[in-house]
Amino acid sequence: MKISARQYAQCLYELVSSESEDKIKKILPKFVVLLEKHRALSLAPAVIAAFTEIWNKEHGEVMAELTSARELKSEAKEMIVDYLKNKSGATEVILDEQVDQNILGGFVLKYNNKIVDASLRSSLESLKNSLKA
Amino acid sequence: MSNTKDFIVNQLKEEISGFKAEVSEKSVGRVLKVSDGIALVSGLSEAMMSEILKFKTEHGEITGVALNLEENLVGAIVLGDFTAIKEGDEVHATKRILEVPVGEAVIGRVLNPLGEPLDGKGKVETNQFYPVEKIAPGVITRASVKEPVQTGIKAIDAMIPIGRGQRELIIGDRQLGKTALAIDTIINQKGQNMKCIYVAIGQKESKIANIVAKLTEAGAMEYTTVVLAGASNPASLLYIAPYAGCAMAEYFCDKGEDVLIVYDDLSKHAVSYREISLLLRRPPGREAYPGDVFYLHSRLLERACKLNKDFGGGSITALPIIETQAGDLSAYIPTNVISITDGQIFLEPDLFYKGNRPAVNAGLSVSRVGSSAQIKAMKKVAGKMRLEAAQYRELAAFAQFGSDLDEDTKNKLERGKRLYEILKQDQYQPLSVAKQVIIYYSLINSLLDDVAVDDVRTFEAGLYKYADLNDEVLNLITERKELDEEIEIKIKKLVSDYKATIE
Repeated sequence: MKISARQYAQCLYELVSSESEDKIKKILPKFVVLLEKHRALSLAPAVIAAFTEIWNKEHGEVMAELTSARELKSEAKEMIVDYLKNKSGATEVILDEQVDQNILGGFVLKYNNKIVDASLRSSLESLKNSLKA
Repeated sequence: MSNTKDFIVNQLKEEISGFKAEVSEKSVGRVLKVSDGIALVSGLSEAMMSEILKFKTEHGEITGVALNLEENLVGAIVLGDFTAIKEGDEVHATKRILEVPVGEAVIGRVLNPLGEPLDGKGKVETNQFYPVEKIAPGVITRASVKEPVQTGIKAIDAMIPIGRGQRELIIGDRQLGKTALAIDTIINQKGQNMKCIYVAIGQKESKIANIVAKLTEAGAMEYTTVVLAGASNPASLLYIAPYAGCAMAEYFCDKGEDVLIVYDDLSKHAVSYREISLLLRRPPGREAYPGDVFYLHSRLLERACKLNKDFGGGSITALPIIETQAGDLSAYIPTNVISITDGQIFLEPDLFYKGNRPAVNAGLSVSRVGSSAQIKAMKKVAGKMRLEAAQYRELAAFAQFGSDLDEDTKNKLERGKRLYEILKQDQYQPLSVAKQVIIYYSLINSLLDDVAVDDVRTFEAGLYKYADLNDEVLNLITERKELDEEIEIKIKKLVSDYKATIE
């Protein structure tokens, strides 16, 4: 049977989740050897991605990408973090902030395959569409 | 001038102040791969089966439908120009199952399978939508088929009667008049309290333009909708076309009306579904069709129904068409659809080239609903006539060997020849039941025996014209739907009167 990247990641997570750092240092090389033995090293990037996802889910962390036209004030950021915690039930939010002048104003928030588009650019576009119709 | 300017400025201000930018959470994914009308999309973890997806491309939005849901992937068919979609494009889930506009507004229109206009008459003005895929009505809601669909084609109405709510397959090789049969049936529905939907799947658009022109000329577009997925449309549109047409039909059926729907043709539909399935990497089976082609057609044709009084009493009559290759009825798709439908009308090349048009093979064609879907008058004449036809076929085969025949056999052969003359009918000339009853009555009661075989058709045409002028008999048959003694005498009188006029 072919083992998927997700299954490797799940396995790795179960191995390391309740171990101390010393133990983990020993486990990791063995895991890599296992991958090599299964000729599955090409799956490594997928395994890493899946591992992060599983870890975040188990630890109540959520990764989010926040794009804004200008650097946001900390109060605004806090509100967004609160919103995310509310929506996803996570206890911790890891924000990846970016500044993109192209969205003109407001912000675009992406997390877990979801998107909240509160940018000036998209609202201008929908205004354009509503005027056209 | 300034008034106009002020007006425009004020209008604009109003529009803008009324506009509210809505911010809502959307489920998004990204295109991983596009090929041949199929897109693989990552993300979209909450996508539903047959949910509408919107691809955001540089050339605007393109609609797609989720068809394969996997762990991390969604396989979608693209309904539109897939070449505009690029790898990495954003895909939005709409939380809406694929649906089409339905309502009175679709009547008289030519639409694509998404309900968008193809006739240049503007958007379909309706706010009602029906899902394209729907489970067929269950047992409790149904009633038995007993009202007739008058096709206006002599050979069919007498020998292979079709009832409202029946599924009757029209099958035959190319160029034998399968579509002609269906179009004549639609034309004949005028004033019969029937809505018609013609679904063209993979047909040449020139052919459809002809058909629409013909229907308009005959006044049939007043109750007809054409759903067109042409030969140049992607397979995905061809695939959803019959379901979209059926959804439009269901609206009228739910209102208690009768609908006739023609699927022209289901072999091309199966081919387009095979294309989609193979591109989605579903395993191929016999003739490379996927395992669920049977379900593909059975779920479509099962939606044809006759509802009982408690559920409105509406009906959907389905006339699927199948094109065979060199008369091969035992290929995969023909056998499947024959087994699903309640009978078939088999068109034969030999008959067609002999000049017997419509080339209906009376032996191989059946209607499993039978005579319960005929008016009493027709039942009375059709029974004898069917017997007559069967005897003729048998005798004609024997008679080829010798010329020494007794009087009785000769008579039967002569009558048979006249019968086959009567079964001939020109295209776009559907005939009312009353006239059919008159001609069949004349035949089985030896009223045509003194007309030469070659003159039967001219005699027939003249008789109809004469009957139109003296329409008492026609009205009586239409009214009573029965063949009582009074009417029988009147028919005899009509025929002899007509004979007198031509002498």
